[in-house]
Amino acid sequence: MAPRSIWNGTLAVGEVIVPVKLFSVVQQHRVQFREVRLSDGAKIKHQRVNSESGEEVPSAEIRKGYEREDGRQIVLTDEEIAAAYGPRNKVIEIEHFTPAAQIDPIFYEKPYILGAQAGGERAYSVLRDALERSGKVGIGRFVLRTREQLVAVGPHGDALRVYTMRFADELVRSSDLDVPSMTREPAAKELEMAERLIDTLAAEWDPQRYEDRHRDAVMAVIESKAAGRKVEVAAPKEPEPVPDLLAALTQSVDQRKARGGKTTSAAKARRKPAAKPAAAAKTKSKTS
Amino acid sequence: MPSTIWTGTISFGLVAVPVRMVSATRDLDIHFHQVDGRTGDRVSNRRISELDSKEVSWDEIGRGYELDGQAVVLTDDELSAAVPERTHMIEIEEFVDSSEIDPAQFDHPYLLLPGSDTEGVTRAYRLLRDAMAKTGRTAIGRVVLRSNEYLAAVHERDDVLALSTMLYADEIRDTAEIDAVPSGDAWASKRGEVTAAIELIEAMSVDFDPSGYEDRDRQRLLELIQSKRGRKGKDAAVSEPEPQSSEPPPDLMAALRESLARARNG
Repeated sequence: MAPRSIWNGTLAVGEVIVPVKLFSVVQQHRVQFREVRLSDGAKIKHQRVNSESGEEVPSAEIRKGYEREDGRQIVLTDEEIAAAYGPRNKVIEIEHFTPAAQIDPIFYEKPYILGAQAGGERAYSVLRDALERSGKVGIGRFVLRTREQLVAVGPHGDALRVYTMRFADELVRSSDLDVPSMTREPAAKELEMAERLIDTLAAEWDPQRYEDRHRDAVMAVIESKAAGRKVEVAAPKEPEPVPDLLAALTQSVDQRKARGGKTTSAAKARRKPAAKPAAAAKTKSKTS
Repeated sequence: MPSTIWTGTISFGLVAVPVRMVSATRDLDIHFHQVDGRTGDRVSNRRISELDSKEVSWDEIGRGYELDGQAVVLTDDELSAAVPERTHMIEIEEFVDSSEIDPAQFDHPYLLLPGSDTEGVTRAYRLLRDAMAKTGRTAIGRVVLRSNEYLAAVHERDDVLALSTMLYADEIRDTAEIDAVPSGDAWASKRGEVTAAIELIEAMSVDFDPSGYEDRDRQRLLELIQSKRGRKGKDAAVSEPEPQSSEPPPDLMAALRESLARARNG
């Protein structure tokens, strides 16, 4: 099923205007539940009521309220907010370019795929290839739904990806953190052993290797309950802290080596999800 | 100071490091509450049964799922039975090169901090942090948050361990599914055009400075909120957005050259 675009507009780089469409990248597969009444499974709906009178409030009468620091409540209409935002264009306006390698991925918030509208294919391809070859991404802004977003536009395979970005002040600063001082340097021997352990656990990144075991486990619980079986709730087990770091490291490295040095095959076997009745039901899990 | 949202241990091999987790982000969005426009009273959300319109209190709410037409109701406790036993343990399964990870897989960023200030804890934490900083590798493991298990990537950043929850590979849409992505020989770009585009990109290039961008909408909303002091509010004149031409450039090369000239002069 071909996905539908969520936004249509233009990508503007200087005088170069590319008509584009935006598609979502993320398609979450978590099992979606809906709220029901425990006693009879009756579906729940949400009703907005006046907190004083308890009467339902029609949507047309709902406004946005904000409590200011001086204690005064301000009520805003959507029109006032739109006026404050000012004119909005359907344009991703690239302000400048920046080396992709300089952007810490922590700034990337949500990814999207850009497609070309009819007539924009050539300019799209040229821009994608030029970004690929220069190792740069375009930084710009555009309005998605109602909010203006800072975005990075960069190449990903045949496509241009758009990432909405976090603003610098939205990241927690080190000075906000209460981190205990760690002045004592690790012993050279410990550090060396830790690095060796990292080496033995080193692997090529293969995203396909990781399956969502939890999705299967949730489906298994649902099926078990549907079959009228009692669902066992187990108490969590907690690990013990290690008193002797170096001994634990050395033992870990030895264990790894005993398993055949490189982890991949052993780890793979470990990671393989146990055969579960839920596997067949996986495709039925609702997606949003 | 960000609040602790999870405590547990991160383990590699037989070494378990007690840690606590905080969000790496701050919510600076302006949050409104709903108001009844007729009275100015707050609006509250009420859950009612679709069956008999009776109000349902929070502790009577369960999770419903329709399985082959059969309605299944789970309590939160039953659902947590699906969560692996070790809910307070991040076990590092392997160390990878983070540049190989598609950034689209990163979901939400968190920070892992030492679980306490005792010497045993800070020593183990610092050892893991320093070893990871030295190798530059990213640890892959899993973490259970709010009764959901997530794949997680951990690496050293600014002297602490940063953890990002991750989406699974099958949650990332393949570009090939999107017909609107021009591909193949039909849309192969011409070398001269790409060269001109690269020149334009270079002319418009700057170093990345994240603090150089502010959330203008947040600022606009704050100004609106402040401007309402003692007044009934500004006139809500909504200006129409200027129509934007969505015509593709007739001459791509000319547009590239024109842009380059402007980028160099401006």
